[in-house]
Amino acid sequence: MNHEEILSVVQEKFLSSELVTAFLCDAKVLRPDCVKKDRLLAIVEYGDEKAVFCLFTSCYPPKSFTDLSIEIVLPIDNSFKCEIDNKPSDPEAILYLNLQSRNSKFKFEIQMTPRVDNFVDDLFRGIEAVNKLTTQPEFVWLKKYDGQREDDFIAQSMVLPRSGMAHTQVSAPVAIRESLIKRKMSDKEFDYTFTKRFTIFCGTWNVNDKSPVIPLKGWLCVDKEPPDIYAIGFQELDLSKETFLFDQTFREDEWYNAVRTHVDPRSKYVKVEIVRLVGMMLIVLIKEKHMSHVRNVVCDTVGTGIMGKMGNKGGVSIRFDLHNTSICFVNSHLAAHVEEYERRNQDFRDICSRTRFVQPNQLPKAIKDHDQVYWLGDLNYRITELDPSSVKRMVNENNFGPVLEWDQLKQQHKISNVFAGYTEGPITFKPTYKYDPGTDNWDSSEKNRAPAWCDRIFWRGDNITQLAYRSHPALNISDHKPVSALFTSSIRIIDEEKYRKVYEEVIKQLDKMENELIPQVKVDITEIDFGTVRYLELQVRTITIKNTGKLPVEFEFIKKLDESSFCKDWLIVEPYKKCICADESCEIQLKVLINKTSACKMNAGTDKLYDILVLHLYGGKDIFITVNGTYQRSCFGCSIEVLVNLNIPIREVPVGKLVELESKRDQYISNQSTYSIPKEIWFLVDHIYLHGLKEPNLFEQPGLHSEVLQIRDWLDSGSIDPIPGSIHSVAEALLLLLESTADPIIPYNLHPVCLRASANYLQCKQIVMELPEFRKNVFLYLCEFLQEALQHNAENGLDAKTLSTLFGAIFLRDNPNVVQEPQSRINKQIIDKKKAQFVHHFLINDHSDLIFTK
Amino acid sequence: MAREFDHLFKLLIIGDSGVGKSCLLLRFADNTFSGSYITTIGVDFKIRTLEINGERVKLQIWDTAGQERFRTITSTYYRGTHGVIVVYDVTNGESFANVKRWLHEIEQNCDVVNKVLVGNKNDCPSRKVVVTEDAQRFANQMNIPLFETSAKENINVEEMFLTITKMVLRSKLEMKERQNVTANDIVNIKGTKTKNVKKCCQ
Repeated sequence: MNHEEILSVVQEKFLSSELVTAFLCDAKVLRPDCVKKDRLLAIVEYGDEKAVFCLFTSCYPPKSFTDLSIEIVLPIDNSFKCEIDNKPSDPEAILYLNLQSRNSKFKFEIQMTPRVDNFVDDLFRGIEAVNKLTTQPEFVWLKKYDGQREDDFIAQSMVLPRSGMAHTQVSAPVAIRESLIKRKMSDKEFDYTFTKRFTIFCGTWNVNDKSPVIPLKGWLCVDKEPPDIYAIGFQELDLSKETFLFDQTFREDEWYNAVRTHVDPRSKYVKVEIVRLVGMMLIVLIKEKHMSHVRNVVCDTVGTGIMGKMGNKGGVSIRFDLHNTSICFVNSHLAAHVEEYERRNQDFRDICSRTRFVQPNQLPKAIKDHDQVYWLGDLNYRITELDPSSVKRMVNENNFGPVLEWDQLKQQHKISNVFAGYTEGPITFKPTYKYDPGTDNWDSSEKNRAPAWCDRIFWRGDNITQLAYRSHPALNISDHKPVSALFTSSIRIIDEEKYRKVYEEVIKQLDKMENELIPQVKVDITEIDFGTVRYLELQVRTITIKNTGKLPVEFEFIKKLDESSFCKDWLIVEPYKKCICADESCEIQLKVLINKTSACKMNAGTDKLYDILVLHLYGGKDIFITVNGTYQRSCFGCSIEVLVNLNIPIREVPVGKLVELESKRDQYISNQSTYSIPKEIWFLVDHIYLHGLKEPNLFEQPGLHSEVLQIRDWLDSGSIDPIPGSIHSVAEALLLLLESTADPIIPYNLHPVCLRASANYLQCKQIVMELPEFRKNVFLYLCEFLQEALQHNAENGLDAKTLSTLFGAIFLRDNPNVVQEPQSRINKQIIDKKKAQFVHHFLINDHSDLIFTK
Repeated sequence: MAREFDHLFKLLIIGDSGVGKSCLLLRFADNTFSGSYITTIGVDFKIRTLEINGERVKLQIWDTAGQERFRTITSTYYRGTHGVIVVYDVTNGESFANVKRWLHEIEQNCDVVNKVLVGNKNDCPSRKVVVTEDAQRFANQMNIPLFETSAKENINVEEMFLTITKMVLRSKLEMKERQNVTANDIVNIKGTKTKNVKKCCQ
């Protein structure tokens, strides 16, 4: 894909009114403590306003806009700042872009390409434009991109996921942590390594298609001490067509064996690697004792010859890690001919850019990615501007200085056209080219070439000292003389003991980081005492959850094992689930309301005002919140059977006694009980009978909640004062009391029979006859009372139909514990009608016969 | 090769309220100690990575509320636990007496699990009431290693956690081995079977 095609994909990510004016690939976001990640940077323009977008791309190049996701949006406003840094070690290749907008700061690493100029120009045009504006742009169009940022996703991915209660599912290993360890360890390299000097012998020889017919000792074995490493490069090993076309040659073994035979015999050497491309061969040997510290040996070859690809010219290289230092050796044979120095520069650049050392599970490495690089070879740079005879004359007088002035390589190196960042030692030896083979005589052929220092050795890296740089003219079988250089270089060696300590320290740091990223909150109260809680009286308490961690935290009240809900049915928690940003707080309301369902359980002792809530933080801890209170017992929620046995106000009954009574409620018979109907019902009915039968809208106008509560207290405490509140409140209290009884007046199991019989008064009567005794009493008592009330319909406006509907729903109330099948509205209406019909019989017919059967 | 850990183990710290469970965890995970007492109301966890015999072990260590009223809830956190650290306070006889109950709690809620017994606050001889001999005798009886630690003075904490981790790791490796042995047996049986068939055919 070319630039334009990618641009159109990026443009699709935005609206047509938002124009992508420039973009950059290969940008890397540098975040603190985090690995670099490849990103795409785009400048987007909307009217006068511009913004920088950082996009993550799931594949490169992005094939469709769906491969892109927006990570960072930086509006170019007057707070926007842009600074550009170079990487000191690599001023040409890498740029750092520091962008800052509205308190967010980002650093991007950018590969230096021609596109960068366009991008940076556009960026600065945007900044200039915005600084000229008198009013600040509002960037309304950016709002829609706000939610798409993933600022915290790295941090979040560090945290061990955990879902639900008591789970420890193992997450997939996170590679991020691994990279962090690597980075931290390399930052602290000096803490656990020491250096040791290694001697490295580099040799290069263009052997001009010759076999090793002479000993190589005079080249390879001339130093006082045997070197630790040998790196020997050959060029023009074999000029035959076969070699060029099929890349096969017997010379490889010949020369390799010759080298092995003639290296310093005082030490034992082993092969690190050998690599060959056509006539270029590189051999790296190391003292046997060091071999166990050599790791990650990789080689690569690059052809820059015919058509820029063939292997008649180019470079071969070997890289490896020795202890904790990475070393790369390159042997190259660059383009020939005097005037072709530009071509040679280009070959050098091509070798640099095309050499790739590929290792499993690692990013490919280039030559420059090594601590130490040794570059040797027939680089083929010549002497220009001097005629051959004067060159020869000066060289013969050992007057090299003036000649070296005209050495193309020195010239090109000086202006950094080639070998930028590399060093070459001073040349104190005669040119190594071109001789009549077998002699020390300059080329006597017709071409009469000027002598040249074709064969050279460069290095790059810290703490490398060249001890010698020389040629070996005695080895005269080729038209080139061999060259060698001896270096002493610092190699970083890991102190295992220290390494372990630093490693542990790093791991501890990361653990600490991970622990700090575990969501943390502070809850102001974990024990909530509601004090005295009364029937139907709502009480509210508030707790505050403050996010004291570094990340947004999501909390939820979760169910305890085996429980169907996270809290008891008398408790309401709002909100029970929410996300809180760092340093922010959330208020949670806990509301207690004892209604008829929970009151029954409280009275029966099957539940109490006590619960422990589990406040769960996603990815974090659980906090237990205890809820507590004292329920003030009330006649509401008691069973009729118990109420008829209480001759004292309920508040005076000991708790245990009430529980005991409730548990035995099925066993009471009339002659042992105090009353035939609960006194509480009698009080309320009697009050209405005496004071309210003529009250307009009786049973239809709701009472006041506060008065209902007063009536509740009056009933429960057995006051001698008159019943407080209006008639309507008393009527409502009566309805509430009837609704709250532990069991309905007509037991649940009889409901189907009642509904079936609802059209038949005799059958209905039959059913009422069979009701449990006290409930039958209550039923008949109330019907009697309602008939009385209907006598006064002229004043109170009651009619039998309304009353039967109202009391039908109470006498035959649905069982809350049975999950109702979803009823159709019509079905429900039919049932409600039948309930009303059932009660209706008893409101319009004389049923004194039933009462007197007792 | 990117690997965050070779093993992930869940450890649980239990014991009476106030014996120093959170302090032990804080000392081990963050190497800090705070003298002020904050009772744990809930369950909290921290992580720490250890390298044991070249294997990277990630520990997720759960600290539980010791208060009696939370016991039913905390017992639900025992599930999936690889190792349990039962803590008592050497200056508090009752907390030692309750160890039995905690061990019973483990039995009720965990399958096979590695345990260590820890007598914490072992930094003030004059206040010590649970003598080492008694604790050791009990530990031997129960076949559980005993450690007397001080989170405050950082005594024996690292060793204790290292021991339980090693125990858990060993259990896991042994279990793996057993599975391999069984797997090999199956192969062997198959092998003999095919041989027999061959014989029959001949």
